[in-house]
Amino acid sequence: MVMRQNVADGGVGIGARLPRKEDARFLRGRGEFVADIRLPGLLEIAFARSPLAHARIRGIEKPVGREGDVFTHADLTDVRPIRAVAGLPGFKPSAQGVLASEKVRHVGELVAMCLAATRAEAEDLAAATFIEFDELPVVADVRAACRPGAPLVHEEWGDNLLLETVAEGDLAELARTAPVKVSRSLKTARQCMSPLEGRGVVAQWREREGQLVLHSASQMPHIVRTGLAECLGLDEGRVRVISPDVGGGFGYKGILLPEEVCAAWAAMRLGRPVRWIEDRREQLTANANCREHHYELTAYADRDGRLLGLDCEAMVDAGAYSSYPFSAALEPAQVASILPGPYRFDHYRCRSLAVATNKPPILPYRGVARAGVCYAIEVLLDAVARAVGKEPYEVRLLNLVPPEAMPFDNITKKHFDSGDYPESVRRAVAAIGLDGIRARQAQRDLTGERIGVGFAVYNEQGAHGTSVYYGWGIPMVPGHEQASARLTPDGGLELRVGVHSHGQGLETSLAQVAHEVLGIAPAKVSLVHGDTALTPYSTGTWGSRCAVMAGGAVAAACRALGERAKKIGARLLQTDYASVRLAAGEIVGPAGSVGLAEIARVWYRAPQNLPDDVDPGGLDVTIGYKPQRDTGTFSYACHAALVSVDSEIGAVELIDYVVVEDGGRLINPMIVDGQILGGAAQGIGTALYEEMPFDAEGQPLASTLADYCLPGATEVPAIRILHMQTPSPYTEFGQKGIGESGAIGPPAAIACAVNDALKDLGVEIGELPITPRRILAALDEAERGGR
Amino acid sequence: MKDVSLTVNGNPVAARVEPRLSLADFLREHELLTGTHLGCEHGVCGACTILIDGAPARSCIAYAVACEGADIRTIEGLDDDPVTAELRAAFSAEHALQCGYCTPAMLVTARDIVLRLPHADEARIRRELAGNLCRCTGYLGIVRAIERVIAARKPR
Repeated sequence: MVMRQNVADGGVGIGARLPRKEDARFLRGRGEFVADIRLPGLLEIAFARSPLAHARIRGIEKPVGREGDVFTHADLTDVRPIRAVAGLPGFKPSAQGVLASEKVRHVGELVAMCLAATRAEAEDLAAATFIEFDELPVVADVRAACRPGAPLVHEEWGDNLLLETVAEGDLAELARTAPVKVSRSLKTARQCMSPLEGRGVVAQWREREGQLVLHSASQMPHIVRTGLAECLGLDEGRVRVISPDVGGGFGYKGILLPEEVCAAWAAMRLGRPVRWIEDRREQLTANANCREHHYELTAYADRDGRLLGLDCEAMVDAGAYSSYPFSAALEPAQVASILPGPYRFDHYRCRSLAVATNKPPILPYRGVARAGVCYAIEVLLDAVARAVGKEPYEVRLLNLVPPEAMPFDNITKKHFDSGDYPESVRRAVAAIGLDGIRARQAQRDLTGERIGVGFAVYNEQGAHGTSVYYGWGIPMVPGHEQASARLTPDGGLELRVGVHSHGQGLETSLAQVAHEVLGIAPAKVSLVHGDTALTPYSTGTWGSRCAVMAGGAVAAACRALGERAKKIGARLLQTDYASVRLAAGEIVGPAGSVGLAEIARVWYRAPQNLPDDVDPGGLDVTIGYKPQRDTGTFSYACHAALVSVDSEIGAVELIDYVVVEDGGRLINPMIVDGQILGGAAQGIGTALYEEMPFDAEGQPLASTLADYCLPGATEVPAIRILHMQTPSPYTEFGQKGIGESGAIGPPAAIACAVNDALKDLGVEIGELPITPRRILAALDEAERGGR
Repeated sequence: MKDVSLTVNGNPVAARVEPRLSLADFLREHELLTGTHLGCEHGVCGACTILIDGAPARSCIAYAVACEGADIRTIEGLDDDPVTAELRAAFSAEHALQCGYCTPAMLVTARDIVLRLPHADEARIRRELAGNLCRCTGYLGIVRAIERVIAARKPR
C-alpha cells in the first residue's frame, strides 16, 4: 500500500492534498456554464406556468399576433409524457405531460412555452398568454391526502397513495414487556436544494450530424439522453447531451426536465437554437422538491438503554409526479430500509407511505432520506437516554454495531463493509469537550447561558450498484462503470468518464488516481467529462459514487493502458514482455528503460520503429469496473454540536461543531474536507433555516432567497474535522463514497443539542427547521402546561 | 430604448438599451462578460457582485441605464489586479471554491475586504461576507483565504 502523500514532499498521487486543476478558470471568471453559451440566432424561452395547485385547464389563449411564438400541449402532439416507473410492488406511476393538457397538479407546472429574442420579451409573451382554469380542491398535506374523500391528484389511482413500503416485524410482545418505551412525533420541512446556479438548457439541431445537441446543467447527461430520446421518439444516436460547467447539483440536477424536452422540441421545430435559464423564482416556487417527512416513532429498550425494538409509521410527501429517472419511490422506500441507522437491534417494524399531493415532484437531495431518518432516530435515542438517566453518547455506544462484528448485515439486510463506529463517537465526545460542557451547564444559574450539546452518528451507503438498483426497478440501473484512458502523441494522458464533476474536483482527484497507476504527472492528465459523444455511458454523478466507481474505472483503464505500453516498451527495449514492469511513468526492463512519452511518440508518429507483429491494440483503452461487492461502501461519521439557545428570542447559535468522519482511504483529503464542510453547511440549513411552507391552497410561501433562507458565512461555524481511515475491503484503493455525508448529521446533532439546552424546561422541539418561532412556541406551551 | 455611456473594465462603452435591462444582463449579453453570474436576480445571493465606481454592488438590481458615466469593473477586469492575484492563489490553496459559480463575485467582495479592512479578524470577515452566498464550501476555505491574504500583506 502506498503511504499517504504530501504535496510538500512532492507527492501528487492518492492521499495528496493537491490543489485543484479546475480552479484556474473559475478564479478568472472563465468557467463555461450553460447561460454563458452563445449561439447565433439563439431564442429565449419563458414558460407560462400554473398559478394554481390543482385545476382543470378550460382553454389557453395565445397572445394575438404572436400565436406562432407560443406553444402548448396541443402543439407538442408528437412528444411523449415523462414517465418514471419503479418496480416496487404497489407503486403507482404517473404520466407527466411536458406541457400540461387537461389538468395542472402543482403551482409552477408548465402550461405554455413562449419564445422571443430576449428573456424579457419571452416573459412578456408568457404574461400575455391567458389560461382559463376551473379550480379543483387542493391536497397540500399528506394526512389530509390520506383521508377518505380527499381530492385526488391522479383520479385513475383511486386514492393518493403512491407507494406503501413495509418492513415487517412483530413488536406486540415487546410493547407489553419492554421496560422502557419512548414515543415521538417528528417532522421535517420541504426544502429546495438551491444550487447557486439554477437549471438551464441550450438546445440546437445540427443538420450535418443529424443530431439534437443539448447543453444542460445536468449531473447525468447519459440518462438525460436516454430519457430525451424516449420522449421525443428519436434514436439515441440522434441526441447528444453536453453538461458543461455546472454550478452545483446536490440532486437538483439529477433529472430529465420537462423544460429540456420542450427546448429540444422547439430547437427541432424552429431550426434555431433555443435556451431556457431557470430563474430563482421558478426554482423556489415551482421546484421546491425534497425532504418532507413525518414520523411516528416508538423505541423499546431495556433499563440500560439497549434498544430492543423500533416501530415507525412514516409518511413522505411525494408531490404530484414521479420524476425521471429516480421516481418518487426512492425516498419513501429508503426511509424504511435505512431508519435503523448504524445500530444493532432485533425487532423492527416500519411502514412508510409515499403520498401524492399538489406540490412539486420530489427528488433525492444530498443524503436522500438519510438526513431525515438520522434526525428521527437520534432524537429518539436521546429520549431513551433521558428515560434511563444516561448520557446520550453512552446509549449510542451501547447500540452501535461494534468493530469486531464487521462486515455486518443489519436488520434490513444492509451490508456494512467496515469501520469502528463507537470510536468515532468517543473521539467526538473528546473533541467537543463533553465534560467541560456539562460543567458549564451546571453553572447556568450563575452565568445565565443556556447551552446544549448534541451527537449524531450515522452511516451512509455510497456507490451501491447493480444488485441494489435492480431491486428498485427504476429506469436506471448502474452496471460496470467505464472509463477510457488514452496516451496522446506527446505523452499526455486523456481520461474520459461518463460521470460529471460540478464542484467535486474530479478533474484533480481522477488525475491523482491515474498518477498512482501510471506515474504521469497530474498536470499532464486531462479529464473529459459530461459529454455523451465523448465519454463512455454512465448513470452519472449521484449516490456518492464517483470516487469509488469512476476512481476504480480510471484505475482499471490506466492499468490496462499500462499493459499495452509494456508490450510496446518491451519491443523497444528488445526484451520479453514478461521481463518488463511499469514504474514511475517508465517501462523498465533488465537492461534499460523507456518512458511512456517515448512509447506514445513511437506508436503514433514513428510506427516504422515497431515490428509488424506488435500488439495492434494501441494506446487507447476503455474498460469497466465494479467493486468486489456492489452493495456499496459505508462511510460513517459522528457529528457533535454545541449550541447556545436564547430563550427570550428563540435564536440558536452554533458555538462549536465537530465531525469525526471515516471515508476510508482518501484520494485527496483537501477535496474530501471540502465535501464534508459544504455538506455540513447544507445540513445546518436543514436544521435551522430552510423551509418552503405551502398554504392550504398549495401556494408556495417563499419566493425569494430573502424568505427561503440559506446559511451564510455568519451562520456556519468553523467546523472541525477529524478523520479516521478504515479502508473499504471492496474498493480499488479502499476509498468510500462521502460526497453526501456531511449533510446528513447536522439536523440530528443540532436538534439534540437544542433539546439538551432546553431539557430542564421539559421542552423538546419536534420539527425542522428549528426556527425562533418554533422554539418560542414550544417554550410557551411548556409554560402553559406547567401552570 | 435609451442611450447609455459608461466605462467597462477601462474601456469606454456606448449602447442603446431597454430601460428595463439590468446591468448584469447588459454585461453578460451585450458585452459578453460572462464571469458575472446571476444567482437570484433579486439582490440576495451576491453572485453578480461587481465594482461600480470602485465599490462592490449588485449588478442584478442595478439598471444599465442608471449607470451613465459609471466606472464598472468585473472579474474579467481584475485579471491583472495584484490583490486579486493574491486572492486567487489563496482561494486555490485553501480550497475556497468548488463549483466556481459564486467565485468571481466572492473575489470581488474579498478584494474589497482586504483593501478596506486590513486588520479584519475572522468574525469581521464573516460579517462582511454575509452578502455573498456559497452553497458548496461551507465558507471556511473562503474565510481562511481572505485571512491568509490579509496576514501576508501586513508586514508591507
